Amino acid sequence: MIEAEHLVKRYGPKLAVDDVSFSIPKGKIAGFVGPNGAGKTTTLRIVAGFLGMTSGRVTLAGHDVEGDPLRAKRALGYMPETVPLYPEMRVGEYLAFRADLKGVARKERASAIERAARKAGVHDVLGQRIGTLSKGYRQRTGLADALVADPPSLVLDEPTAGLDPNQIKEVRELVRALGDGHTVLLSTHILSEVEATCDAILVLAGGKLVAQGTQEEIARKRRSFSVDFTVRGDPEQAAAILAAREGVARVRRGGETDAICTFRCTWRRTLPDEEVALATEACTRALLEAGLHVRAVHRTTSSLEDVFGELTRADDAPTGEGDA
Amino acid sequence: MSGFVPILKRELLVFFVTPLAWVLVTVFLLVQGMHFFLIVDHFSSQPATVAVQSPLQAFFGNTVLLYLVLFLLVPPLTMRLFAEERRSGTIEALLTTPVSPAAVVLAKYTAALVAYAFMWAPTALYVVILRRTGDVDLRVVGATYAGILGIGAAYLSIGLFASAVTRSQFIAFLLTAAVMLALFVVGIGEFVAREGSTMHAIATHVSVWAHMNELASGVVDSRRLVFYGTLTAVPLFATTRLVDAWRWSGT
Repeated sequence: MIEAEHLVKRYGPKLAVDDVSFSIPKGKIAGFVGPNGAGKTTTLRIVAGFLGMTSGRVTLAGHDVEGDPLRAKRALGYMPETVPLYPEMRVGEYLAFRADLKGVARKERASAIERAARKAGVHDVLGQRIGTLSKGYRQRTGLADALVADPPSLVLDEPTAGLDPNQIKEVRELVRALGDGHTVLLSTHILSEVEATCDAILVLAGGKLVAQGTQEEIARKRRSFSVDFTVRGDPEQAAAILAAREGVARVRRGGETDAICTFRCTWRRTLPDEEVALATEACTRALLEAGLHVRAVHRTTSSLEDVFGELTRADDAPTGEGDA
Repeated sequence: MSGFVPILKRELLVFFVTPLAWVLVTVFLLVQGMHFFLIVDHFSSQPATVAVQSPLQAFFGNTVLLYLVLFLLVPPLTMRLFAEERRSGTIEALLTTPVSPAAVVLAKYTAALVAYAFMWAPTALYVVILRRTGDVDLRVVGATYAGILGIGAAYLSIGLFASAVTRSQFIAFLLTAAVMLALFVVGIGEFVAREGSTMHAIATHVSVWAHMNELASGVVDSRRLVFYGTLTAVPLFATTRLVDAWRWSGT
């Protein structure tokens, strides 16, 4: 369980994190998405107890990060964005050191390292010096470190940054597998990543949480930007009628067979959400009144990328802090 | 003090697996060996001087070489302790584990102190050599080594603080050396300032030279203990506060 209530982080006059609240139940995976500088890293650092918060409250597995930091940190596996490691140590040595730091009992240490190394896929490089590892292995060493004490909460900052497509797939599968038993909070700026791995999505922009919910809930926020009309009859006439309607930005013609033609009618950005449906009705009625036959009216849905763009664009400029 | 032992172990491991340690040990022992040879040579050619001071007293006390050696020894031992972790970002991984800032600071400090003691340890052989040829007062030897450890403890503490102030190891090195030099220069005031003046009193109080001279002749003054105790404790405390403050200022 990872909970944040009214989290605020101020750097002088700058608000880096502005009243962010969320709650991730046990066994769920939540993903922070947002443009660079949205405050993702800052928020995760606060959750991990590395940065102090201006106001608010964060609890990890029920332990207050401010009030009981040692217990909260004991319940946490954290992988910072840059995956900082000691290059002069061997992977096995490093994991032993980290397990020791996190209070894994001496007699359980070997098995804990073995388990974490196997899960993260670094068991074959335990004897290798970290300085000689490839980026992918370094990333996985960071993951093994986060897992070594088997903490209930995991915070992973951009776990797939800098990996190749195969490695990304592996890490995603690993994160998905962590879902049973661990509560995971991760961040990314790649949307397909949250779609692929997360139960809940938190959209952050300019330090504010602009949307949160399951994928379906976020998807419902998708605004329809266009409607496809499939019309039988004179295509020129149909195009002219649609183009003349109020609220229509442009009409694109496509998919013509015989006298059946599909028009993609894109709405003006200024058209309010609730009037999109009315405009659709009006267009359909106009086509029918002109003696044309309407075969299908299909409201196109925007991709998650469109929603993301829509949600994060409207807000004020990013504060410039966070992902540095 | 959770986290103290693993951090101490790691610091010692890193210290002894990097070339820095062995370069330091080698240079240090070469310099000390030459120093010892010169002193012994001097005393054996002029036996009359033994009445004034013993070879050990000359080795640790009335000599500028000791300070040159400390300049060589202390800043390289402490410069990386925090500066490197901040530069590479590993401090973030370190401080998000269940460790208290005090444990981190004390573990790093203890590691530096152990390394420092490790470097001085071989010089105990000189005492063994001297004992074969003459009389050595072991209480004086004890007082002398206590002095070496005390001065080292204070300088290392200052060095640790300097390492936490900056991300640059080089600046940490310079800061530490500058503070050590300043203390030494103020101490010289003991011989320059008019006797009885405030300046003279201050100079006498901080004069490492005079302190070591005293200790090397077997005099243990409690004022010195308080002085070095304070010089050790204050930077340690300040470093702990600084590490804690990184949560607000950022590292």
